[in-house]
Amino acid sequence: MTIVPNRLGVKFNLKREPAIAAADIVPIFQRWIQEHTVDGMLIDVIDYKHVPEGPGVILIADEGDYAYDFGDGQVGLHYIRKRNLPGLLSDALLMAFRLALGAALCLEDEAPGDIEFDFSSAKISFLDRRRYRNDLSLFTALQDELSAILADIYGCEIALERAYDDPRLSFALRVAAQTDSVDGHKLLARLSERPVGVQ
Amino acid sequence: MNTWKEQLADQIPADMGNLIDTFEAQIELRKQGKLDEKVFAEQRLRKGAYGQRYDNGQRHDGVRTRELSYPSGELVKGPDTLWDAPGMQRIKIPYGGLTAEQLEVLSELADEYADGILHITTRQDIQLHYVHIDDTPDLMRRLAAVDITTQEACGNSVRNITACTLAGVCHDEVFDVSPYADAMMRFLLDHDDVQDFGRKFKVAFSGCAGHACGLVKMHDLGLLAQTREIDGEIKRGFTVFVGGGLGTVPQQAKVLADFATEEQLLPLAQAVSRVFARLGEKKNRNRARIKFLVSKLGIDEFRREVQEELKTVPQDDRHTAYLDTLGDFGYKPAKAGMALNGTPLPDGFSDWYRTNVYHQAQSGYSTITLNTPLGDFTAMQGFQLAEIARRYVGDNIRLSVEQNIVLRWVADADLPAIYRELREIGLSDAGAGTIVDITACPGTDTCKLGIASSRGLTAELRTRLIERINLLPDAVRELKIKVSGCFNSCGQHHVADIGFFGNSRRSGNHKMPHFQVVLGGQWQENAGSYGLAVGAVPAKHIPEVLEALTNRYVAERAEEEVFQTWVKNLGRKEIKAMLQPYMKLPSFDDKPEFFSDWGDSRVYTIDDIGVGECAGEVVSLFSLEIARAESAHFEALLALDDGNYPMVDQQAYKAMVLAARALVRTKYLDVGDDYGNIVNEFRSRFYDTELVYDRFAKGKFARYLFKRHDQPPTQVGEDYAHQLIDETQLFIENIHSAEQRINGVIVS
Repeated sequence: MTIVPNRLGVKFNLKREPAIAAADIVPIFQRWIQEHTVDGMLIDVIDYKHVPEGPGVILIADEGDYAYDFGDGQVGLHYIRKRNLPGLLSDALLMAFRLALGAALCLEDEAPGDIEFDFSSAKISFLDRRRYRNDLSLFTALQDELSAILADIYGCEIALERAYDDPRLSFALRVAAQTDSVDGHKLLARLSERPVGVQ
Repeated sequence: MNTWKEQLADQIPADMGNLIDTFEAQIELRKQGKLDEKVFAEQRLRKGAYGQRYDNGQRHDGVRTRELSYPSGELVKGPDTLWDAPGMQRIKIPYGGLTAEQLEVLSELADEYADGILHITTRQDIQLHYVHIDDTPDLMRRLAAVDITTQEACGNSVRNITACTLAGVCHDEVFDVSPYADAMMRFLLDHDDVQDFGRKFKVAFSGCAGHACGLVKMHDLGLLAQTREIDGEIKRGFTVFVGGGLGTVPQQAKVLADFATEEQLLPLAQAVSRVFARLGEKKNRNRARIKFLVSKLGIDEFRREVQEELKTVPQDDRHTAYLDTLGDFGYKPAKAGMALNGTPLPDGFSDWYRTNVYHQAQSGYSTITLNTPLGDFTAMQGFQLAEIARRYVGDNIRLSVEQNIVLRWVADADLPAIYRELREIGLSDAGAGTIVDITACPGTDTCKLGIASSRGLTAELRTRLIERINLLPDAVRELKIKVSGCFNSCGQHHVADIGFFGNSRRSGNHKMPHFQVVLGGQWQENAGSYGLAVGAVPAKHIPEVLEALTNRYVAERAEEEVFQTWVKNLGRKEIKAMLQPYMKLPSFDDKPEFFSDWGDSRVYTIDDIGVGECAGEVVSLFSLEIARAESAHFEALLALDDGNYPMVDQQAYKAMVLAARALVRTKYLDVGDDYGNIVNEFRSRFYDTELVYDRFAKGKFARYLFKRHDQPPTQVGEDYAHQLIDETQLFIENIHSAEQRINGVIVS
């Protein structure tokens, strides 16, 4: 059984560059704190939009952070689970997917028609170099197990590849559902029915 | 799977490893309620693990103040500082010098323990934000494995030692101060004589008098390179400044010594430290910096004290040993120097070349400055930059006090290529050192003391200025802007042409964020003079104020008149009149946007301000040292649980010696680290005199130490280990009791 990393990230990219400015995300996240729109103990909003291809605007929470992220030159919603990860990798991935998906759908509601995510693919980051060195052999060793977990999450066949070859970077994967499109609401509804064991 | 401690065991220097192990043990002791929160706070700060805004569990969300219910409940890591609240980790980068490998490790840590961002401070440190305290021991181990420490990055100790980024490549320097800064950092790090300060202590080196780089005149201890002919020989040395500082009460440093030779440098720094520890204020933290001691005594009396103290400084080979290796402190460029030839220049190169490139004293080489917005860069940029550095400059990376990254030893012929590569990773902004290159402290973003959003204002000004940088006259482009979130001056607003520091004013029933405008500070001549506060303006008016000031400066300045002179000639009254239209406070109903800060949509409040940790905790030297003994005892307990009985013996013995040392040091600071000396001093000062005697047990507990010291076990079994653990506990309790009887209250 594969060990759960210290931190686990899931990012959904936008389908296209939105009209909304990054600065306008700050008040949205501030309001999410007031209204407790997304899961977690929400703490603060930090603005890094001045940093090229950076984490953009982050809604900091105790358990995990939600970022309107510009990493890899792609705008998206990046959820990084930091604490209280479940003991099973399958549960941890399910949790991170569910929370990222939930936040992304909330963001779509803030700017209907402008902010639109591509839920058929995602980047998954294992932010734990001690347990997850970014090399091909680790990918090869984990590929079957991770493919099975992610196929189960998507409910269809998936394709999996390493996001970065550079061994200095975190072990990260790109997953793509082998289907025409993925409806985020349906996916969330399905994932929400699954129980997740928290450590 | 191995822990980081196991994985890196061979790469971490033993002394650094011990300090981190001790801190990890203190974390456990604090969680179990066995270590006082103030003592832990000071230990934590001395490891660079700082609190952040909202760590008291309160945050105003724009409508109401909400409780932040962290899972650890009431457990605190210091007064009003909840355990699970994210914190800031400050990492010392002496004189800003980094290797490519170190940059990569820092980037890994930002990726895994923080929010993915590395922040450069005005003291050439790196700060990571939103770090959990439980992650800090491993974070520190990973740093120690590449020769980086967080030891004494905060707290009442010697902070990061800064120096010019151009040291070693500068045309104007007397000599390269880098190896001296490095030697002083290593000498003073965790030194006994810097453990009992009432406040922090900042040291800077500068290679020349005229330029700003080192800023020695605004430091607690400033060292300005000089040479002097002595007995027909040119000797290297320093003009020594003492007692400078910014903060709420800025003060220019005074000359302690016109010329101290390089041999005298470290003993003199040690003597200054001892005088500060002995005579400096300990209770009133607002008057505890060395500048207050220098003012109180006068520089002549302070100098006499230092000279007297020098006579008592024990001989130490380290005072001069580093001088033998000065020649080894060379720089290895990645490539041979070569002039810029006729290579086609990329778009934007000329603007960048004009402001970001400095031609080194060494022919064919340049130093380039990466204008890093708000001092922030991503972990990904860190990795990419390390790769670029390896190819073009090797390990010649530095961080600047203006929150930029500097690459030295770039072959001139490579400038177009490196510019192209920096552009690819978003680090090729022109305008380094100009008006767009604004310095800012963290302010209300993360600092507990922040009153207004220094970073929000900086981002706004930066955006507006970049849009019209090419339209600005040279006289305006060359101005420096620095912004602090409060009066404490971490953004160094006193030494900018135009400085701002955050404050607030009331309008009706609402508070409004403001910035005090500070004009005419001098960055040159090592922060030669400080600016004058001329009035507080609503934060949302600051861009207009800046435009009004610069427009009038351009329109009215005499030819070649610099900003400082123009401000002085214009006079405070006239400037105030100029600001007056912007100082009027609109009502909340008329202009609600004025009641939110830059970059923050919440209605402004100052309810979130907490108690700052810059001052550290006022904890006695004994409390800090006995805490180390208790940590060693805890390590012994862990070893007992593991059945590692030789380790039990080692740690328990160490705990007793450290406890004895803690008591000895209340009377004899120079006892040193040798176990034999410590035991002898303890015996003669406290046992033979019966000062350590318990009312009923008499000298029994002290004899536990003597027994272990005089008769080390040949075999260590479980029974022995258990007994030694118990005896150690009793010995430590005995030391606590004795200290209270002898010296009074422990935690002041």
